[in-house]
Amino acid sequence: MATSFRLNGETVIYHGDPRTSLLNVLRDTYRLTGAKAVCEEGFCGACTVHVDGEAVPSCLRPVGLVADCSVTTIEGLAERDAPHALQAAFRKHDVVQCGMCFPGMVMSLSKLLEENPSPSREEVKRGMTGNMCRCTGYERIIDAVMSLQDNAEARP
Amino acid sequence: MSGGYDASTAVMDYPRCDAQDKLAGRTRYTVDRAGPETLKAVLFRSNITAARIVRLNVEAARRAPGVRAIATAADAPGKFGLGIADHVLFAGDVIRHHGEPIAAIAADTMEQAKAAMELIELELDPLPAMLTMEAALAKGAREIHADWKDYEILLEGAKRGGNVAWEATVERGDSDAAFSRDDVTIVEGCYRVGRQSHVPFEPRAVNARFEDGRFNIETSTQVPWTVRSVTARALGIPESHVRVTVPAVGGGFGLKFDCTLEPYAAVLAKMTGRSVSLINSRREEQLTCLCRENAEIRIRSAVTPDGEIVGREATVLMDCGAYGGEQVFLTTMTAHTLGGNYRVGAVKLASRAVYTNTPPNGAFRACNGVYNTFVLERHTDEICREIGLDPIEFRRRNAIGNGDVGATGQVFEGDVLRPMLERMVEKYPYASSVESARDGWKRGRATTIGTWFVFVGPSAATVNLNADGSATLVTSGVEIGSGSMMQSLPQIIASELGIEPDAVIVKSADTDASGRDLGVGGGRQTVSLGAASAAACADVREKVLAVAGELLQAEASRLVLKDGRVEFRDGAGGSVRLTDVIARAEATVGPVSGSGAFTAPGVAAMPGCAAGHFIDAIDIPVFAVHDCELDVEIATGRVVVRNYRVIQDVGRAINPRAVHSQVQGGVVQGLGYALHEEITINDKGFFDQSGFETYRIPLAGDVIPVDLEMYEGAPSIGPLGTKGAGEVPILNVGATIACAVANATGKQVSELPLTPPRVLGLLKDGTEAIRLDHISRNWRENVISK
Ligand code: FES
Ligand code: FES
Repeated sequence: MATSFRLNGETVIYHGDPRTSLLNVLRDTYRLTGAKAVCEEGFCGACTVHVDGEAVPSCLRPVGLVADCSVTTIEGLAERDAPHALQAAFRKHDVVQCGMCFPGMVMSLSKLLEENPSPSREEVKRGMTGNMCRCTGYERIIDAVMSLQDNAEARP
Repeated sequence: MSGGYDASTAVMDYPRCDAQDKLAGRTRYTVDRAGPETLKAVLFRSNITAARIVRLNVEAARRAPGVRAIATAADAPGKFGLGIADHVLFAGDVIRHHGEPIAAIAADTMEQAKAAMELIELELDPLPAMLTMEAALAKGAREIHADWKDYEILLEGAKRGGNVAWEATVERGDSDAAFSRDDVTIVEGCYRVGRQSHVPFEPRAVNARFEDGRFNIETSTQVPWTVRSVTARALGIPESHVRVTVPAVGGGFGLKFDCTLEPYAAVLAKMTGRSVSLINSRREEQLTCLCRENAEIRIRSAVTPDGEIVGREATVLMDCGAYGGEQVFLTTMTAHTLGGNYRVGAVKLASRAVYTNTPPNGAFRACNGVYNTFVLERHTDEICREIGLDPIEFRRRNAIGNGDVGATGQVFEGDVLRPMLERMVEKYPYASSVESARDGWKRGRATTIGTWFVFVGPSAATVNLNADGSATLVTSGVEIGSGSMMQSLPQIIASELGIEPDAVIVKSADTDASGRDLGVGGGRQTVSLGAASAAACADVREKVLAVAGELLQAEASRLVLKDGRVEFRDGAGGSVRLTDVIARAEATVGPVSGSGAFTAPGVAAMPGCAAGHFIDAIDIPVFAVHDCELDVEIATGRVVVRNYRVIQDVGRAINPRAVHSQVQGGVVQGLGYALHEEITINDKGFFDQSGFETYRIPLAGDVIPVDLEMYEGAPSIGPLGTKGAGEVPILNVGATIACAVANATGKQVSELPLTPPRVLGLLKDGTEAIRLDHISRNWRENVISK
């Protein structure tokens, strides 16, 4: 059985077992390794991708369930030379450490900001519940997210 | 120093250059590098804790579809270890812990490899399992390593025996006399801590190939040279037959300070002639995590009415699990942590690594320093309570300072701890924090001090100057996320050579290209690799200035490297571009490169007072003062941390923002340890926590911003006066939380983590005091007799 879906803007047809997790299909078949397999239980958020505009952990989603959906991975989030504002802020504020959690973090928080462009610190924290990080202790990531609003305010 | 560069040019908030690709998902970690052409390997692990292997038959599995090779004990007979060679790659005759590898399978796909595992026939004769140190140390207990006497000793001088893998002791002065003085109060306590799991987001993983008669190992490690030597020992081949390279590492925290998966993949690569990938599943990563060990401690001190500590005796039992591993080395660190912080008259310390039938433990950020500091600081507060002295005043009087003698007789240089402590209470005076808690809560505050060290030791570096004025740094350093390879080293080299950090290319670790190195850990990377790199730069500078001297018709000693040019030191006219000097050098003497090396000169200790120690003194002590204010909910036992403040001795911070990040991350890992992270072992000898659901690490909602002040200027042999900053932030977190909870509740806190049920037990006096009857009150009975 073949599963057809849109992957970063292109139509692809996956011929393997539809019960395989979307994460494994992305990583093994399409070699898109930006989404990370960390817990594979839906807790850590490192495997987060956008499915039809919603941020979801790809480790728990059988690929058969994304048939005809539009899937965006971290590789497809932004143009190579024009990073997403979040990516730029994380880089500028030097918050990345080992980096394993960040692709998922960017995918989740980019959705959060889409829905709520000026969140409070508490709202950002709450929005990060599904994204764990073992290295940074979170606060400086939140500083960087909050800095996006400073920029917005600075703009006329 | 020749060339006379300005050290302050190294100081900046230089952002890391690997961030962009990490953020875009383009960075390929070891787990991302095995494509479809690579064979997938799995380990067949024991699902029992202790047994004799009666029969192992892998023939059916070998014939299963897709299977390319199966390796067992016969394929890797060599023993390895730290201090003692007690570890084998595969269980051959005896299984000593749950999850111990028995065979390794490589197949075309993961599914085929797993299916083949089902066909392995294994017949076992179970042995009584010794799951606790108490059981392992009991009279007549079965010896977990029946042939321990025959093991090769890699470091002489320690006592061992039965289930004691290693024993390190310190005896300085006459503590018997101190304890029998009639003017002293004797304070005694027992403490216990559980295991902490690192949970690096990238599990241990390796890709191996066998090419031209040599092993090519690409792996997620902190210690490429250890991987090289352990693989060679296990396989019984010369070390020179192994090459280790390391891509970006997705977190280590000490877990990857040991060789684990690499030799299995190597064996299979040789058997198949193919690339082989072996990656721990999260479950395997958790169940065989080389945790921060569980430990049991008895300590007692003799203290005069005005707070002088005239005698101290302590015994620390460290569970090393089924094999000695890192704990053997770490027995050394008891002297410098539990025996640290304070001036003490006479001391007797014993730390014993004890074999049990549990998965082996390992190194974890600040290692046993974390719980020894917890014990020492809680014990200190108990002393203060007994003799009626203010805890800050007691610490002020007794903190190690300039000229004071440490546990092993080393003489400390500089007053560092006391001014740091003064600064903390001046910044946050105790009198002002009397605001009381809400109804139903109790508030507590505590200030603790801590001593850790930089683990120096050999490093080598080569710096090649390129025609375009950039420099390539070749070392075995690994970027595990801390930023030392991406920030500290480029900054140091840029400052030494008068170029921009962006013009420094850092080659990723490759044991075929660089000299030997001890690895990333113990806060040593900026210090040891930095010093080796600085030495390589001095070599480069000398060569560059000699050529520039010809061009400028000046003595080399009058010249400096600055802003990509060679200029006159005194500002006299005339300068030349660095690229022109390089071009001239290439035409006249050849391309410019320099090499440098570093190792610790070794600080003196008092001869004869330490036995079984890997190092008798610490070359670079690092100090920390932590302070926290927290609330305890009376109905639930929940602890809410209100403020967390750190003053950390950083030597010189060359990237203050990066230090900040390390401190925030380290303190939060410490809060996990203090409040909820614990691996428990069930009666079958398995870990109860096999994944993220059961082992809870701190979430964004659990944390607060850490208030950091960097204390600069303490003596350090590191380049530009640096000390490692990433290891220490976790050191006193358990201690500070425990002391603050004790102050809030008025109860003795003797155990970590302080989970709500445990705190509730304390509040309701339902928690039994820890007794540790298997550690004698008579210190001498706790050590292997002379
Ligand atoms: S890997 Fe999917 S949530 Fe952790
Ligand atoms: S940066 Fe390492 S897990 Fe977040």
